[in-house]
Amino acid sequence: MFVARSIAADHKDLIHDVSYDFHGRRMATCSSDQSMKVWDKGGNAEWNCTASWKTHSGSVWRVTWAHPEFGQVLASCSFDRTAIVWEEIVGESNDKQRGQSHWIKRTTLVDSRTSVTDVKFAPKHMGLMLTTCSADGVVRIYEAPDVMNLSQWSLQHEISSKLSCSCISWNPSSSRAHAPMIAVGSDDSNVTYGGKVQIYEYNEVTRKYAKAETLMTVTDAVHDIAFAPNLGRSFHVLAIATKDVRIFKLVPLRKDSSSSAPTKFEVQVLAQFDSHNSQVWRVSWNITSTLLASSGDDGCVRLWKANYMDNWKCTGILKGDGSPVSGQPGALSGILGSATAQRSFHLIWSKDYKVHCLPDLIFLSCLSDYLYILFL
Amino acid sequence: MSSGYKPDILWSPHHADRYVICDTELSLYRIGPAGSSETKAGALPLSEETAATLLAINSDTPYMKCVAWYPKQEPECLLAVGQANGRVVLTSLGQSHNSKSVPAEKVRLSGDVDSGLVVTKPLYELGQNDACLSLCWLPRDHQKLLLAGMHRNLAIFDLRNTSQKTFVNTKAIQGVTVDPHFQDRVASFFEGQVAIWDLRKFEKPVFTLTEQSKPLTKVAWCRTRMGLLATLTRDSNIIRLYDMQHTPMPFGDEVEPTIIERSVQPCSESIISSFAWHPSAQNRMVVVSPNRVMNDFTVFERISLAWSSTTALMWACGRHLYECAEDAGQGVAATEKDIATKMRERAQLRYGHDTMQVWRNHMLAGGDDPQLRSLWYTLHYILHCSYTENVEQKQQSNKQSLIYSGIKNIVKSSSGTTETRHCWSGSDRQTDVPRYHSEERSLALQLCGWISRGPDIDVEPFLKSLEQEGERERAAAVALFNLDIRRAIQILNKGASAEKGDLNLTVVAMALSGYTDEKNSLWREMCSSLRLQLKKPYLCIMFAFLTSEPGAYDAVLYESRVAVRDRVAFACMFLNDAQLPRYIDKLTNEMKEAGNLEGILLTGLTKDGVDLMESYVDRTGDVQTASFCMLKGSPGEVLKDPRVQCWIENYRNLLDAWRFWHKRAEFDIHRSKLDPSSKPLAQVFVSCNFCGKSISYSCSAMPHQGRGFSQYGVSGSPTKSKVTSCPGCRKPLPRCALCLMNMGTPVSSCPGTGKADEKADLTRDKKLAQFNNWFTWCHNCRHGGHAGHMLSWFRDHSECPVSACTCKCMQLDTTGNLVPSDSV
Repeated sequence: MFVARSIAADHKDLIHDVSYDFHGRRMATCSSDQSMKVWDKGGNAEWNCTASWKTHSGSVWRVTWAHPEFGQVLASCSFDRTAIVWEEIVGESNDKQRGQSHWIKRTTLVDSRTSVTDVKFAPKHMGLMLTTCSADGVVRIYEAPDVMNLSQWSLQHEISSKLSCSCISWNPSSSRAHAPMIAVGSDDSNVTYGGKVQIYEYNEVTRKYAKAETLMTVTDAVHDIAFAPNLGRSFHVLAIATKDVRIFKLVPLRKDSSSSAPTKFEVQVLAQFDSHNSQVWRVSWNITSTLLASSGDDGCVRLWKANYMDNWKCTGILKGDGSPVSGQPGALSGILGSATAQRSFHLIWSKDYKVHCLPDLIFLSCLSDYLYILFL
Repeated sequence: MSSGYKPDILWSPHHADRYVICDTELSLYRIGPAGSSETKAGALPLSEETAATLLAINSDTPYMKCVAWYPKQEPECLLAVGQANGRVVLTSLGQSHNSKSVPAEKVRLSGDVDSGLVVTKPLYELGQNDACLSLCWLPRDHQKLLLAGMHRNLAIFDLRNTSQKTFVNTKAIQGVTVDPHFQDRVASFFEGQVAIWDLRKFEKPVFTLTEQSKPLTKVAWCRTRMGLLATLTRDSNIIRLYDMQHTPMPFGDEVEPTIIERSVQPCSESIISSFAWHPSAQNRMVVVSPNRVMNDFTVFERISLAWSSTTALMWACGRHLYECAEDAGQGVAATEKDIATKMRERAQLRYGHDTMQVWRNHMLAGGDDPQLRSLWYTLHYILHCSYTENVEQKQQSNKQSLIYSGIKNIVKSSSGTTETRHCWSGSDRQTDVPRYHSEERSLALQLCGWISRGPDIDVEPFLKSLEQEGERERAAAVALFNLDIRRAIQILNKGASAEKGDLNLTVVAMALSGYTDEKNSLWREMCSSLRLQLKKPYLCIMFAFLTSEPGAYDAVLYESRVAVRDRVAFACMFLNDAQLPRYIDKLTNEMKEAGNLEGILLTGLTKDGVDLMESYVDRTGDVQTASFCMLKGSPGEVLKDPRVQCWIENYRNLLDAWRFWHKRAEFDIHRSKLDPSSKPLAQVFVSCNFCGKSISYSCSAMPHQGRGFSQYGVSGSPTKSKVTSCPGCRKPLPRCALCLMNMGTPVSSCPGTGKADEKADLTRDKKLAQFNNWFTWCHNCRHGGHAGHMLSWFRDHSECPVSACTCKCMQLDTTGNLVPSDSV
């Protein structure tokens, strides 16, 4: 059973982002209170805050972890027009014994003249690279040439997207068949400016990022964008949070390796859901890109899953405060995935295997909850 | 009702659970949890959790224009009502009707004398010659008042000196309201436009919000949350929210304001008349519609969320964090599990690692996926065939590679096919069913698992094993296809009489026994029409076979419910050299398209097979199966395919992310056995302090140390003491920081590990004993010693054992402190 558990975050203002590390044992949060916190999962699966410090002089929008092979490295971006790279250090104080760790600022990236809206590390096979995007529409790609010295970052590329940028996502594919690729979303709400998602691809010949694709059908403000973990698939999947949740499939068309033109894609819309009724704020993929979570203005977290036919369906709804959607007192706090809906049903009807796969699993879980209470 | 009396709503300033709705009368409500004993039967549901109870109604004051609560604690529920006729009436609600604590039940404060009640004179008169449209007190300075007048101006009056005022001309003069969290920020509106003012720089609005098409009716700051403004337009079902955490400072530099615009629909389609923020509950408001339907509603903050690598979902809503973790419970229908969960469970069960009985791997995968079952049987037969082939005829490497290249290629290379006509066993009638034989065809049958290696086709062992597994229909069909109708009937009868047997099988057996090869018999006619009603695919194809013309077996070959393996074996027996490759090609393409793992039987572990696996991975994401399957391929060929390398890398990455490091290491060992090119090179060399030569031979107390020494010309027997010195220059190796012995000295016992319970696991001790001798050192301070000694030291200490060294060797690497999750 999947049950939502509340964690006392103790931030003094809104939390804007949460981010897990590679192993899912550490977590970072950032907030409007201009601070960041790092959490470590204890042996009893409880989250302990091991570091909390003031980072920026404005709201901290996003926080992200580097791959652990580069050390314990975080990057944050803020309204104060900067992005900062942090590294955890040990050995100089006794912090660790008090269960606290010490993070120091390695570098401040001050190139942006407006609020830095997103920050992401590139996939690890590309080396230690960091990307930022800002409200003035510039995407900047930095590289740390020496992974031992995180105080030196050189600005490698500057891509001007011409639209106020709100989010970026790297294509995580490590296949050599796929050139490095980055998707940029814009929160400009003027629909006449055309497609709000642009995809840039690195060109080996020119050594520059060039626009490979603009998703012209996405004309409303985009709030979040996420490439699905590739996992050796031959195509890319991109989830977009705009006025609805959209999932795009980008199939690279074969090209001869000699040509320097960017890859052409066959773009298909796999799914489009407007069940959040209004703006969708975030989208996130699980590690195998088989589950998608989205959050929207209806105050709910929704989970989506595709069956083998690529039909995407909602398999769970969780209220933002962890309370059950059905509103039954004492009901399940949340259901993740149809698996869980099945599971909760089995817990209650452990002997009844006849009701197996109802089409509407959410209804099923509510129903089971309800019955559960009656029988108690 | 009349449009003039749209209900408005006001929260009590002191009771967080009370509010007033005013339209033609004043109604006081108390809000409480729905379904609790406190709420009575007449409670109105406001949301799923809350309901409102009507406490009091006051209809003494008609023609209300505006209402305000008395802001002090006592008397409670005192309200000032402004009426259309210019009167202001103080009235009270609820229990205060007969409460003495209210000094004056009705006090009129107007110039209207005829009422005969208390008349007060105005204390101040401000803004003469101007109709005041809205006003508010400025919380920063209690003597200041902000007035919005008809003459298109906003003015700030100081009551201590009423002649002093600052004012500004603007159209936005309605509904002035001060941000409770930022007391210099004021919002006012005009028609559809909201202007935000900063009192420190009052000359012009700091900015205006995007204009609405309809005129606004209410603008209100959230009382609990900084910089959240809610606006409502006429006849609308949407409340627009403006989140302005970062408005530009009036004296600062020019920054574009960051305003996040959102909209909420508190009561879906119905129109909202008014709303009011809850005074204390986070982001909560009550909304009322024109026909007085109320709704308790909480505006959620923008939720940000993230998945962990172990399928836990964390999200942040407002200031709170919520985690939704997966519980590894049992009894979930396997088809419903996510592939990530499946792969983790399979990795734990060492799926793919059974190299002795390859088919058993599908059991490790749960044993409930027919495609995986088929895949692992195929791999089993391929490896089995290849192994026996190897033993018997080593020189014939051509055939060796043929085994791996799938039935599609085997069939293509077929030559010297002979055609025979057999009798039905147990019957003397000659059949006119031609059967084809060739060496390649019998190899294909072996790969299908129908026959084992040998010159003659003998399916009896296969039938027996099928019967044992309870697959009676399949066994019967195989028997029939080998033209042994008696055996088929026998199998069916056995099935019917067995425990939990299907009695229908007897009926089927009876029908079978009536077989006649006469073209126009009743039997034939009935069977060919009635077989379609048989639910079991194998029974169905049995009759299809018996009623078809020779060579026209489409009803058997294209029955998709029958395993590919059996259909292919059937085709290899009954299709001629022209038909067979065509059928196999068609089936192969179908399988490739669908990414069906049963097709690996046809494609083998070739490029075709990789294509098929690619569409399987595209469909499912199951890189685990893909990696293990391709590793079984004959060395070199498919493993060089970049796609295969990509799957393997992705799978290893997954194992790493899950902290299945032991499983990853096992996988790497498994991989390097099958693909020697993937063996990693030695990464670290230890060189002698004096001569700089590698000392790797001496530090491990391995048997080959003798050879190592002789290489350096040291004759004589290598004694144990000599491993403590460099094989090159004979100088002693560094000392262990703890025992102060030269490295290379075997560790007798570790101090501090003499606990009784640790001796129980002898094999574990033995494994660890080897490791205890290892040479380890800290990369930071370069102090080191025996691994066993170091580990036991750092169990109790955080600093380096060398005196005056404060290096916290063990804490330097955070990942090093993580525990692998598959260690238990």
